[in-house]
Formats: sequence, structure tokens, C-alpha cells
Amino acid sequence: MDKAIVVDHLLKNFEVTEKKPGLVNSFTSIFSPQKKTIRALRNISFTVESGELVGFIGPNGAGKTTTLKVLSGLLYPTSGFTSVLEFDPWDRKPEFLKQISLVMGQKNQLWWDLPAMETFELNRAIYEIPKRQYEETLDELTELLEVKKLLNIQVRRLSLGQRMRLELVAALLHSPKILFLDEPTLGLDLIAQQKMRDFIYEYNRRSGATILLTSHNMDDLMDLARRVIVIDEGRIIFDGALEELVNRFAKEKIIKVSLLREDDIKRIEEIGKVKKLAFPEVILSVPRSTTAVAAAELLQNFPVADLTIEEVPIEEVIRKVFRGEGKKKLLK
Amino acid sequence: MKKYLAIFKISFAQEFAYRLNFIMWRLRNVMQIFLIFFLWNAVFTDPTRVVFGYDRGKILTYVFGILIMKAIVLSARTIEVAGEISSGDLTNFLLKPVNYFKYWFSRDLSSKALNLGFAASEALILYLILRPPFFLQTNPWLIVAFVISLAIAVVLFFGLLFLSNLIAFWMPEQGWSAQFLIIVIFTDFLSGGVFPLDIFPLVVQKILYTLPFPYLLFFPLQIYLGKIPVTQVWGGIMIACAWTLILLAGLKFVWNRGIRKYEAVGR
Repeated sequence: MDKAIVVDHLLKNFEVTEKKPGLVNSFTSIFSPQKKTIRALRNISFTVESGELVGFIGPNGAGKTTTLKVLSGLLYPTSGFTSVLEFDPWDRKPEFLKQISLVMGQKNQLWWDLPAMETFELNRAIYEIPKRQYEETLDELTELLEVKKLLNIQVRRLSLGQRMRLELVAALLHSPKILFLDEPTLGLDLIAQQKMRDFIYEYNRRSGATILLTSHNMDDLMDLARRVIVIDEGRIIFDGALEELVNRFAKEKIIKVSLLREDDIKRIEEIGKVKKLAFPEVILSVPRSTTAVAAAELLQNFPVADLTIEEVPIEEVIRKVFRGEGKKKLLK
Repeated sequence: MKKYLAIFKISFAQEFAYRLNFIMWRLRNVMQIFLIFFLWNAVFTDPTRVVFGYDRGKILTYVFGILIMKAIVLSARTIEVAGEISSGDLTNFLLKPVNYFKYWFSRDLSSKALNLGFAASEALILYLILRPPFFLQTNPWLIVAFVISLAIAVVLFFGLLFLSNLIAFWMPEQGWSAQFLIIVIFTDFLSGGVFPLDIFPLVVQKILYTLPFPYLLFFPLQIYLGKIPVTQVWGGIMIACAWTLILLAGLKFVWNRGIRKYEAVGR
């Protein structure tokens, strides 16, 4: 398959002016602003095949959104090579822009005071979409996202969830080959989130579009992304299948035991870290390398009725990654 | 071209979403005209009196002319550019196959069309109420020159306003004050929006004519009123053209710098 996105040794620095609080400091900062360089992306390389659905994860400020912005031509890279559909994003050629779309959870393109339909019509003109194709796409998207009834209502009168779905319609009218989604479920309630996820999955399957998605929402990634890229402090610390992330990250395994009697229950702490203790069930986490030993010890010394060994749940791994705990362990 | 027609249309629809705002804005203009009208009317109570080369008919034509000229030249949506830059809404446009300058120029034209429609009817109503003597230009050459200078004024103001808005790339918080300075003080005052510029001493007028401002309102209107010798008309148009080209080139230069600086803030 052909490569939709190639990123090679990408670097992006920002210069920010620091402002200390207080009147005096505000005043002095006018004359001698304190400049500080933030290294948002430090040497990032990866490629994405066409049709892939890739999730970007990492804690706040890790560089996820910056990456998407560079790829969609919004930010000028400090150094490094990027190619999207064989275009240099920064050139922002019309042929390039007609094939991509960036949807940001907190930025809207719909005209606030007008019905969404007006924005759609405007996009039809801007993207020069043939009328037939436009009508078909619009029909399909509004059907899938269940927004047919909302098209002629002033955008300001809609709820966030309704608006987000209409934003998606606006972003997909020109049938982009590459879709960048930045926090698509931000601020939505659980049902709306699920609808959004179902749609993204379905859209990727139907249209074969390449989708890059950043999210803070674990469910987004677990439901959608087969492949994840973990970014922290501007570096890629993991790139691979979601399951593999667990194998690499989780240095521990989970042992679940069901006990017959309660007697020696205190001593069980010597075997591993007790995560849950509610007789008859005990959940332990033990280092991967000693799992077998621990299991044997349990069977020998305790009145075990049942015992299972499991992997650390994927949610927990991702949660740790979000908290920025992934780095040290993954780099080892 | 079709793109920009669509932009023209949606922008027009948008203006109507804020009807009250728009009506208040027009009302302000009318009040201003009333004020200026009565001021000059008081000065020229004697119909044979001529001050600064204006008689009663010409000064009142000037006042009414300014109403129409402001609607054509100074009505602009481009003033929102600074806000879009500092809020990060500019991002939406950078992602689309659309020329940002043409986009705003289309929106300006749409605003001008709407304002002109209103200004024309206001002028008519004011005319019926106040019944001022009017000066009609009959020299076709001067009318042609007037139209040309008016078209240049529109582009000139676009360049000036857009350029002042781009300050937001470097000082996102200061955008507003820069625009205020450009619009309210410089343009209105130095372009003859408040009073005719030829009441200034000659030296000041000479200096003013080397700046872009008089070419926005005062110069085109002077052509219409026949107050500029035909030999000097084309010279003035050349200066206005030169300023327009300088500003548009500067606009492009500053834009390219700014866009690199733009960090798509606030996403």
C-alpha cells in the first residue's frame, strides 16, 4: 500500500513570552519580555498507510495537536521532513487542501448566526464540489449522523453534541482522503460520544479515508484505533498495535484468586501487591517475571478454590500513559 | 469566482442576523450627518457667503457626499481579521482552498452593498427633510475620474485596514487598539470625514496629500465637486494608485511573515 503520511525527524519549537503575574511584572514585561523556547516536537518520525486509523495518545502538552497542525499545514516546522499525500503541507496548495480535513473539538467553522445549511453551501462553493456529489454526500452524512432535522436551525440554538455532528458534516462534505480529528469527543455526553465513535469507525470503513485521531478519551482509542502512537514531551515513545502497548508497558500481571477460608488472608500481602481484597476474592498484581512462582506459592500455601492469571487491563495502561507515567517504563 | 459569490451571499445573510446592531450603526451615521449639516448650515446662513472655497450648496453636497462615500469606502468587515487571528479562528480558513484576501474583499463588498443601499435611502430621506441646495457635476470627465478614484479608494482602504489588523500576529492582545487608531482617528479625521481638509493651512494640506488618507474620502469627493483642477486630477489618482500598490505589497509581505509566526493558538 502507498504511504499517505510520511514524517521524518520533525522538530517544532515555539517561542513564548513569559508573563509573571502582578502589575509591576506586566509593566516590565513590555520593555524586556522574557522569551522562552518550548520544544514541542523533538525529532518525530513515523509513517501512515493510506486507509489506516491511528490514535495519538499522550498527556496534555505532549505534542499531539502540534503534530496534527504541522501535518495539515497550519504550523511551519522548525526542521524535518513531512509529506502528506506527497504534498508539503506548508505549501497549502488547493489540491492538497481539497483532500484533507481537520476537525477540532473546540474550534468551529459553522457560521454561528446562520443555519448549518448555509455553511454547507459555502463549503460546496469553496471546495468546488459538483452538485450531484454534494447532494449525495450530504444525504449520506446527515443520515449517518442523524442530523437531517437540524439543518435549517440557527447554529447558536443547537446543543454541543448536535453542533459537533454538524461540524463533522461540514468537514467531510468534500470527501477528504485524510481526516485529522483533534479530540472529537471533547465535552460530549456518553451517548453522543458513542455515536461519534460509531460514526468515525463506519466512515473509515466505508470511505477508506486515512484517519489520525488524538484523544483523551480511552474509549475512543479502544473502540477505534488498531494502532496507537504514544507521544510524550515531544517524543514518540511507542508506535504499534494497541495490544502490544500492554505487553510492552505492563511490567506486571494480575492474579485473581478465590479462597475457601479467610484465615491466612493477611499473609497474602507477602506474595504481591494486593489490589482488591473482598473475601472470597483477592486480586494481586505481581511482577511479570515472577508470575509463575507467585502462582505456585499461592496454590501451595493458601486454600485456593480458583486461580486465574490475566494481563493488566488496557484502560489502566492508557490511563497511566495519559498521566505521563509511560515514558520511564517504556523507554527502559 | 463562484466561491467568492457564495461568500458574498453568506456574508450578506450574516449581516441580517444582527439587524439591531446594523440599524443602530446606521442611526449613528444619520445623527452624525444631522449634526454636521446644522453646523455648516449655521455657518452659511447667508447663501452668497463663500468660506474656504465652499458656498452653501457645495458644503451641503459635501456633507451628503460623505454619507454615501463612507458607506462605499469605509464599510468593511475586514476589521474582524485581527480578532480571527488572536482567537485562532483563522485556522478554519488556512485549511480551506480559499484565498484569504479575496475572502475578506468579498465580505467587504457585501457589507458595502448593504450599507450603500441604506445610505442611499437615508440620504434621500434627509434630502426630503432638509431640502439642501445640491451641486450636480456635469463634466463627464470629472465623473469618470470620480468613479475611478472611488474604486481606488475602496482597495486602498482594504489594504490599510487589513494591514493594521495583521498587527494581531505579533501582539494578539493589542489588535483592537491599533484598529481603533487607524479607523476612528486617522481615517475619519485625515480623510475628510469630519470636515473638508481644505480648511487646513496649505502646508498641512500639502503634507496630507502625500499620505494615503485624503484619497479615501476627500479626494474623490473633491473631484466630484470640481474643486480640483483637471490637470491635477490624474496626478492625484497616480499617488493614490502608488499608495494602493505599496500597501498591497506590504500586506503580502507582512502576511507571509505573520503566518509563520501564527501558532494556531487556541487551536
